[in-house]
Amino acid sequence: MSISSPLILADGVSKKFGANQVLTRVTLEVLERDVVCVVGPSGSGKTTLLRCLALLEEPSEGRVVMEGVPISTPSPSKQVKAAARDVRSEIGMVFQHFNLWPHMSVLQNLIEAPMRVKKMPRDQAVAIAEGLLNKVDLSDKRDAYPARLSGGQQQRVAIARALAMNPKVLLFDEATSALDPELRREVLAVMRQLAREGMTMLVVTHEMGFARHVGTRTVFMDRGEIVEAAPGSAFFDAPQTERARRFLQQFEDE
Amino acid sequence: MFKYQFRWDTVWGSFDFLMGGLQMTLIISAITLVLAMLGGLIIALLDMSRFRILRWIGISIGEVVRNTPILVQLLWVYYVLPIVFGVRIEALVALIIGLALYQASFISEVYRSGIQSVPKGHREAAQVLGLTPFQSFNRIVLPQAIRMTLPPLASNFVQLIKFSSLGAVISVSEITRRGMELSATNFRPLETFTFIAVVYFFICWPLAMAIRFWERRLQAR
Ligand SMILES: Nc1ncnc2c1ncn2[C@@H]1O[C@H](COP(=O)(O)OP(=O)(O)OP(=O)(O)O)[C@@H](O)[C@H]1O
Ligand SMILES: [Mg+2]
Repeated sequence: MSISSPLILADGVSKKFGANQVLTRVTLEVLERDVVCVVGPSGSGKTTLLRCLALLEEPSEGRVVMEGVPISTPSPSKQVKAAARDVRSEIGMVFQHFNLWPHMSVLQNLIEAPMRVKKMPRDQAVAIAEGLLNKVDLSDKRDAYPARLSGGQQQRVAIARALAMNPKVLLFDEATSALDPELRREVLAVMRQLAREGMTMLVVTHEMGFARHVGTRTVFMDRGEIVEAAPGSAFFDAPQTERARRFLQQFEDE
Repeated sequence: MFKYQFRWDTVWGSFDFLMGGLQMTLIISAITLVLAMLGGLIIALLDMSRFRILRWIGISIGEVVRNTPILVQLLWVYYVLPIVFGVRIEALVALIIGLALYQASFISEVYRSGIQSVPKGHREAAQVLGLTPFQSFNRIVLPQAIRMTLPPLASNFVQLIKFSSLGAVISVSEITRRGMELSATNFRPLETFTFIAVVYFFICWPLAMAIRFWERRLQAR
């Protein structure tokens, strides 16, 4: 593992569902402390790319590499599978629809993986969970069940649940899209806070403000390809392609 | 109604006899439900097996059981199984086996839909956090699926209370059979069978209502 290898890398990843080519040789690297924002029209393959990186989908071509070690390839070898098992919980993911476990309280949602996967003693897992709940400002909801929480609160719990495994990188798939505008702000605030603390993040979003002001790099995808990538707000100030300009036009009045 | 002299006393006189039959009915239903839950699990596992032959067996059992009359199945278990295996089986045992097999084929579907009711995203969240497929099934899917299957299982119990009356045909001494015996001696089928119908109704109806309420609460979750 060399110093310069990216934290996580999609290396020429293609994905087909049957005859439907959803990703075409996508190469994207995320360095430590990067906040890479992925934007693009609906159906452009953003979710699929994230799911490949989260090891929820197997690429049809190419590979996913974490700190220089391949962790996902088409028909993976034993070695790749073992590597994937080792780093599995170092890649966290936050879903559009939260996916909290409804039969468990907030605290149980947070301590489940640390206790089962890391074999952490309960006291320690609870202490970590309480710290994280404090961080996302939900200490008073410790024993509540997800159904009793607002969407914004549920998403903050989901973020805390992902953080409880102390991941090296967090993937966000439109974490605010299912929320009312007022509730988005509280989730975005947590994400901004994480970025400030140096969390490595790959964020699929329709929040252009977040991408422009918080992202270190913006990647524009269309029809399964990365069309443009530019640091910071450069993508927004000077989009290079017609497709990107047309895409950005929809957000002009925001 | 035509002039009919009701003689309810003929029923009251045999109240204990009939209630003994009711007790039998409930015991049969309870035992059968437990067996059918186990059988349903086996059929569900066969259906989901990696091996084609096992899947084929599971699916065949389900199809045969669902597409033949339950009464014929009971008669078959009672009269044919002993010939095949060369052992005599009690009518009561035949009834329980037959009913359990019948209900198991439905309960396997209940399990399947219970598991399918758990959103895929819940499992994916577990997978991303590093839980093994077994942990994910055990800790995330199963507890939620069980909650969804409890009301349908209770409905199965209600069905069993009614279906167990078929035991009368092979002379299992549950409440319907005892009603038949009673009416053959008191010559009062109207009172006897009306009473029995009322007993069934006031057991099954409240249960069915409670289950419907329970299901609605689960759906509103
Ligand atoms: N499991 C699947 N099976 C078949 N096709 C799929 C599957 N998942 C995604 N697709 C297809 O892949 C394409 C890209 O989907 P994807 O969800 O990655 O897009 P997206 O950029 O996330 O879109 P959105 O902004 O609407 O979330 C779509 O045409 C979709 O229908
Ligand atoms: Mg998407």
